Order: sequence, then C-alpha cells, then structure tokens
Amino acid sequence: MSGLKTIEGVTDAINAEAVEARAAGEPEWLRERRRHAWRVYEETPMPTTRLEEWRYTDLTEKLDLGSLHLGTTERLPDDPASFPTGLQEAMAQDREASGHLVLIDGAVVHTDIRDDLSEKGVILCSLRDALRKHPEMVDRYLATAAVPPEEGKFQALNAALWSDGVFLHVPRGVRLDVPVRVTRWISEPGAAFFSRTLIVAEPTSQVSYVDEILSDDLDAQTLTSSAVEVITQDGAQVQYVAVQRLGTGAFYLSQQRTLAYRDSTLDTLNVNLGASVSRVDLNARLLGPGANSDMLGLYFGDGDQHFDHNTSQDHVAGHANSDLLYKGALDGSSRAVFRGVIRVHEGAQQTDAYQTNRNLLLSDRARADSLPNLEIAADDVKCSHGATVGQLDEESLFYLMSRGLPRERAERLVVLGFLGEVLSRLPLGGVQEKVTRAIAAKLASHH
Amino acid sequence: MSDWVRVAGAGDCPPGSLLSVTAGGEAVVLANVEGHLYALRDRCSHADFPLHDGFLEGTELECIHHGAKFDVCTGAARSLPAVRPVKSYPVEVREGDVFIQTG
Amino acid sequence: MPQNEVIQGLDLDTYKYGFIDEEKHVFRTRPGLDEDVVRQISAHKGEPEWMLDFRLKALKIYESKPMPTWGGDLTSLEDTLKEIYFYVKPQEKMERSWDDVPADIKNTFEKLGIPEAEQKILAGVGAQYESEMVYHSLKQEWEDKGVIFDSIEDGLRNHPELFRKYFGTVIPTADNKFAAMNSAVWSGGSFVYIPPGVELDTPLQAYFRVNQERMGQFERTLIIAGENSRAHYIEGCTAPVYSTESFHSGVIEIVVEKGAHFRYTTIQNWSNNMYNLVTQRALVHENATMEWLDGNLGSKLTMKYPSCYLVGEGAHGNILSIAYAGDGQHQDTGGKVVHAAPRTTSSIVSKSISKGTGRSSYRGLLKVYDGATGAKSNVECDALLINETARTDTYPYIEIDEQTAHIGHEATVSKIGDEQLFYLMSRGMSEEVAMAMIVRGFIEPIAKELPLEYAVELNRLIELEMEGSVG
Repeated sequence: MSGLKTIEGVTDAINAEAVEARAAGEPEWLRERRRHAWRVYEETPMPTTRLEEWRYTDLTEKLDLGSLHLGTTERLPDDPASFPTGLQEAMAQDREASGHLVLIDGAVVHTDIRDDLSEKGVILCSLRDALRKHPEMVDRYLATAAVPPEEGKFQALNAALWSDGVFLHVPRGVRLDVPVRVTRWISEPGAAFFSRTLIVAEPTSQVSYVDEILSDDLDAQTLTSSAVEVITQDGAQVQYVAVQRLGTGAFYLSQQRTLAYRDSTLDTLNVNLGASVSRVDLNARLLGPGANSDMLGLYFGDGDQHFDHNTSQDHVAGHANSDLLYKGALDGSSRAVFRGVIRVHEGAQQTDAYQTNRNLLLSDRARADSLPNLEIAADDVKCSHGATVGQLDEESLFYLMSRGLPRERAERLVVLGFLGEVLSRLPLGGVQEKVTRAIAAKLASHH
Repeated sequence: MSDWVRVAGAGDCPPGSLLSVTAGGEAVVLANVEGHLYALRDRCSHADFPLHDGFLEGTELECIHHGAKFDVCTGAARSLPAVRPVKSYPVEVREGDVFIQTG
Repeated sequence: MPQNEVIQGLDLDTYKYGFIDEEKHVFRTRPGLDEDVVRQISAHKGEPEWMLDFRLKALKIYESKPMPTWGGDLTSLEDTLKEIYFYVKPQEKMERSWDDVPADIKNTFEKLGIPEAEQKILAGVGAQYESEMVYHSLKQEWEDKGVIFDSIEDGLRNHPELFRKYFGTVIPTADNKFAAMNSAVWSGGSFVYIPPGVELDTPLQAYFRVNQERMGQFERTLIIAGENSRAHYIEGCTAPVYSTESFHSGVIEIVVEKGAHFRYTTIQNWSNNMYNLVTQRALVHENATMEWLDGNLGSKLTMKYPSCYLVGEGAHGNILSIAYAGDGQHQDTGGKVVHAAPRTTSSIVSKSISKGTGRSSYRGLLKVYDGATGAKSNVECDALLINETARTDTYPYIEIDEQTAHIGHEATVSKIGDEQLFYLMSRGMSEEVAMAMIVRGFIEPIAKELPLEYAVELNRLIELEMEGSVG
C-alpha cells in the first residue's frame, strides 16, 4: 500500500481546483468560506448505511459522483418565449406573484419584483447579485447559522461549490399578500448543480415563498443539490414551499434549516413527486418563546423512485410549538423513508411538539420505512408521534364504487383525499391545485 | 434483461474464499466452494450489510455483521436473524474469466 | 387500597436487596477476558470439544466487533471489563435440595423469598449465585410428564442432541458484541424443554444473584416449547450495591413450536452499579404465541430489546415493557417484532417512568417482510416524566415491505398532571401518596399481567421509588 490516502468524494470534476474556479473574483471572506467548506468535505467520510441518517439510502448504489460533471454556469437570455416548454407550462399555471425568479440549469435567467414592494425595501434577486449589492447581509447569514458545512458531507460540498441561488429579504413590518415564486428548470443530463437559497424575514414581516424544480426525464444521473436557509426574526411569518417534479435520472438533494425566533411563524411544505432519488433534510429550530412551525410533507412514488425524508424539530426555547405531518402514497416498487426526531432541549418547558407520518402502499412491491423519534429532556411538555402504514381503505373504496364510480376512479379519489389533508393545511394561492393536478396526472398514468 | 457480465478473472477468487465484485451497478459476492463458483447479491437480507467480509464454511456463508447464514448455491436463508433469501446469479467461467448473469 | 397501607413501608430510600454476603468461592478466573480465561471456563465445565471451539470463535468475533455507539453510554465499560471476574464458581456442584445448598448462600435466597415462593406458586426453581446454578428443582409431576428444567450445563451434558440442535441458532454469536461475549464465556442459566401438549399451570422461575464485587454474570438460557405446549418462565435478578461497576450479559434463546404458548417474564432489579446488556429472542412458529413481559427497574444501564421472529403463519408476538429510571439510571429498552409469515400479528406496549436524573429510552423495531400478507401490528409507547431533570426518548424503527400489512405506532410523553395531583391532594392525600397512586395507575396494564405476588412487589417498589421525589 502506498502512503497516499484517497479522499472520498473527490472526482475529476469535484475537487479543490473546481472550488478555486468558483471562488475566482469573489470577496476574500467568501473564498475563505468556500475553502473551509471544502476542507470539511475532504475530512468528512462519505455517508454509508451504517450511519443512522443514511441507513436506508445506500449512496454506493444510488449516487455515482464520479460520473458527474459540473453544470455549466452560462447565463441564458432572459426571453420567456425561448424557455423550455415544461418550464413555460409550469409557470403558466401559477397565479399572481409578488415577484419571480427563474433559474435554468442553476443560472438565474430572470428576476422581477413588484415595484411597490421594491420601494418598501423587499429584495428578491440572485445570490450573486446580492453579494454585489448587499454583501453584509449575505456575509452575516450564508452558510453560517443555518446550513454550515459542519452539518455533513453534502452540506459541505454545497457550501464549497454553489454557483448561484436565491436571496429574499423582507424588511421590518413589510407584508407580502401574494407569494414570491421561484421556478427552476434542469436540462443538462450528467451534471451536478449546487444552489443556495437564503430567506431573511425581519421582525413582524410576512412572506410566502414557493420554489418549484422541474425537468424532463434525464438519460444520465443528474444531481441537484440545494441548501436552504430560512430565518424568521421576532414576530415574522414565513411560509416556505418546495415542489419537486424532476424527471427520472435526477438525484434531488435538498438540505434545509429554518430558524424561528420569538413569536414567529415558520411553516414549511415539501412536495416530492419526481426524481429517481429524492432526499430532503429539514431541521426546524425553534429558538424563541412563542415560535411556531407547521411542517408538512407529501410524496407520491411509482416506478423505482426512492424518497428519503430526514426531519428534526429542535425545541431550543420553551413555549414553542411544532407540528409535523408527512404523508405519502407509494406505487410500483417505489420506496419511502421517513426519519424524524423531536428534540426538546433541556429547559424548553411548555413545548408542544407533534409528529405524524402516514404511508399508503398501493402496490405489493412498494416499501415504507418510518422512524419517528422523540428525545425529551424537559418534563412539562406535550409531545407525541404516530406512524401508520397501510393499504387503501376498502370501505371508502366500496362506498364510492357503490355510488357508481369505477374502481380506478374510486382509488384515485381515495389517494387524493389521503394526500389532500396535507395540502389543505397550507392553503396557498395555486399550490394546492397545481400539486393535486400533478398527482392526478401521475395516478392516471398507471391505469 | 439477462446480460452476462464479466466480473473477475477465474483466479481472483480461490477455493474457500469470497470476493466482492460489481455487475451492472449491483454489488455481488463471489464464493468459491471447492472450485465451484457461486454468486449472490452482496447485501444481507437482514440488514443490507455486505456479505463479502463474512465466513465461508462449506456451502454456508455467514454474515460477519449479525451472524445470518445463507446457502451460497441457492441464496436461501439458513439462520436468524435472516428470514429471507438473497438473490443468487448464474455463474459461468469462460476462458479464464468469470461471468455472471444479471437481471 | 386504603391510604395507610400505601404509606406503610415507605421508610426505605435504599435499595432493599443490597445486602452483601461474605465472598466465598471455590475458583475464579483472573480479572479480564482473554483466550486463557475462556479455556479455563470450558475446562471447569468439562465440556465437549465443539463447545470449546464455539467459545473460542465467539471470542474472536467479540474482539472484532466495535463497542456500540448507540443506546447507552458505554465509555467507561471498556475499563470495567478489564477489571471484572468473568467466571466465579461459588461451590463444587449444583444441588437439588435447599438443605444441601451451603448455609450462607441458602440464607441469601431465603432473604429474597425464593424457597417460600417455590412452595407456594412455582412449578420449578433455578437459582444462580455468581457464575453457576447452585440449585435447580422441578416438581415431580412435571418431571413425570417429561418436562426438562435444568441448568444449561446439565442440558448440554444430559441432552446433547437436543441442545446442539438449537443452541446458538436463534441468536447467532455474531448477532451483536455482547451476544458474542456471552457465547465465549457463558456460564449458568437454564435449559428448558416442554414436551408437546404439556401445559404447566404454574410458572418456572430462575433467580439470578450476583454477590461478588466486580464480577460479570453471563447466563445462557435455551428454551424449547414443544407443539401445543404452554408455560410461563420468570426470571428475577438482584445484586449488592458496590461502588465499583458490575456487569451482566445474558443470552436467552426461545423456540416456540407450532401452536405453543410461551410467556417469559423478567423482573430486573439489579443494583445501580450494574451494566445489564441482554439479548433475548424467540423464534415463533405457526399459530404459536410468544409473550415477553419485561420489567426493568434496576441497573445503571440496561440495553435490552426482547424480540419475536414470527416465522410461521398465524404466529403472534406480544411485548409488554415497563421501565423505571431513577437518579443516574438509563433504561434503554423496548422490543422487536419481525413479521415473516402471513397473518402474523403483534403488539408492543411500552410504559416508562423517568425520575430525577433518570433516562428511559424506548427503542424498537417493527419489520414486515414482503409476503407476510395481512400482518397486523400495533405499538404504543407512553413515557411519564416525574420532574424536570428526567429525560425520555423514543426510537421506533418501522420497516414495511408488505402492501397488505396494517401497522400503527403511537407515542406520547407527559408529566404527572398538576390537576390530577391537586385533585387527589384535595381529597386528603399527601403529595407522595398521590404521586404513587398516579404512577401505579400508569403501570397498571403491565402489573395486572403478572402473578399476584409479583404485581404486589412491583407496586411496592414503585412506592418506594416515589419516596423523596417530591419537592
């Protein structure tokens, strides 16, 4: 054996030179942050199934890092007519918005924001623009408080190699009545994309944010890695929605952390319908009394899709609430993993925390694994969790069929009803209809 | 979907030993029982750990991680904690190369 | 129960089984574990060659396995293991009459109430002192029906074929680090065979006592419940309180044949310096039922997850687990059920109480394999926290490969409600008594499954533990 140690996850495309190339021309603090992240990446072993959080997702079989090249960062013209059809269709379904941001293959190609909001100081722009115009804000939050590289191998990789992303800042007291919409399109097979989202809501402000990622089927494995940092300061309200409708071949990796301060509300909804492999890490931190987080999730799998949701509800401060509901239906030989933990830290009295995961198996080859965990270090709390796995409720089916519906339509209705519970808890302009339509289309393709 | 894939040279896995190989992206373990080669999916049906670090005694492969035993000829489970077989693949040796049939 | 009865006997805040006998033994290995120690244990037992080979292979597997990094805190265990005696032989041979057991050892078991219970409510008794069974006896009527209830060593000696057919098949040596350790150094424990169709109407009991300071006890129990048989086995454990750490690591293998019904009850009340790392597993065949009643009250750290492998159609598994974690204690307990055949059903109910700096963790696995059609399982975990420094965790693993399975899991955490306390105290109860009453209600579903004598004992223990928890 030679004395050389191979470093896990370093490839022809993913290496220290690539990090330097990304860092070129950036301010020194950011270059240093990237280099630090890269060192953490090198020092962190590749997660294996022996690691609790990766127990059910075997990366040696699911992810071939060596086959990936870095996505091109060339910016396409801002011409909606020339956008890929799938992207145009998705955007056409959206209703009114406070502003838009469109990314194609990781590069921001379009940004707009309503004038009145812009005048009130709301910032919606690409992360690179934010670096130029508001470096102090980016410096303060990016890859520090929310998703630092020390969180894990892929968090480190993202912090070292991100190419661009979204920056949303809502000043004190400003309230947006309709959502900010971000739409991402992926078209380059075999590429790896690294993007970051940073949302800061100042005290008593309010915003809802919908981020949709789509692609056609990709004929080679394609990685989309995103790090999402959402911060709600005292009394602010944020709704964060991520809708994933990537094609087969995609490996979707989304690593999110939400920081909710005193009396703030920070709700999230993760909808996963597409991609071959979809992994979401969501850590909700309740940092001030009165903070509240509703955490919703919905997934529908078929073929050999693999979903892995890894959530945590960290009650650092007392007198805060969190309520998680993740529901999924699985057809074909698809598989879903839900691993969630409620952590009530010492002294976090008067915590109310709940967690529910429900799975519907629609096929005899589908599989669901559920690990709802509790770690409670304070006694004056209300905590509970529940998990169920079952098949379609024959009684409801029978009822619908007795009313003259053919079995297939009855099944579709029962599945939509089952998943619909999640959507009805976050009524946000257009999201419910859009996701319902996408699920219905997926269900229809089975019969 | 029944492709024959070369996975090793015939001498790479001597009698009484186990060898970890890959075929079409799947991890596979070869076992040599007195000159006869057998191939099983290299994942224990109990906890998905690789089998290739295990013990081969006769035709029995014992998983080093939790002690489950499998018949290398058929993949059948022979001892708790395994209760399900592991997939077994047809093996052929052609002109000094080991091929297995995937799919 | 009238209040004054509850209050009586609340004078102890100490562990009442902590008395120490003078250390006497006819042989012990030197502290620590190596190949020599294993060979000495085997030689003292006069075992066949295959068992020595089995032990030596187990030692290698033990050494190759890392210490678990999950569950309880095992950081100081490696040092403890260097200092403990892995084998302590208390007397030359096992006796079948209490009159022949040396007076001091007999005295110990009398203090624990064993001979008395034997006469009143038991079908048979085994008593282990340090590393060996010192007493084993079965009522004549059961012996006549072909029931075997013996020390594990006598099982190997007298029933070699039956023994070898099952030994190590339910829990392989490599299953986990401590099963491997036990496989290398096992000593004592029971060998039980219930012939087909035989139904025992009173329980068998094995009692485990550690007296020697700094010792490890490694009992090994093998139970075969023949077709359509029915039996109940109870184990109890206590030890003196020492300032040094002791270690107990048992392996219990149970085969429940077609249509049989077997219940295994543990009332573990080790002293608070004991590491208690036990592997218990049952292989459950067609239409058979296995029930684990697991009560963990003592020890410094317990890691124990009784399991049922439901491999025959219609098999049923039942796990009732109760844990009490007081100051400095960590109970990492729970249960595992694997559904590997159609129409199998199971239920896990776990109740834990954490007090002071105690911590209880529920850890469980529910697995349904593809093809286990119509499998049904329900898991319920309730944790009660007595004060703000206590801690509780719940770690269930649910793995479902079968579409027609029906699975539910629920867990809740609560503290003793102020309103409940206030109500009871307004009826004239002291806070302590009210708290004991609430806790008793909480564990009632488990206590009622125990033979009366044990249920009373459990209630008494809880009352003692509530002492001093107020304010």
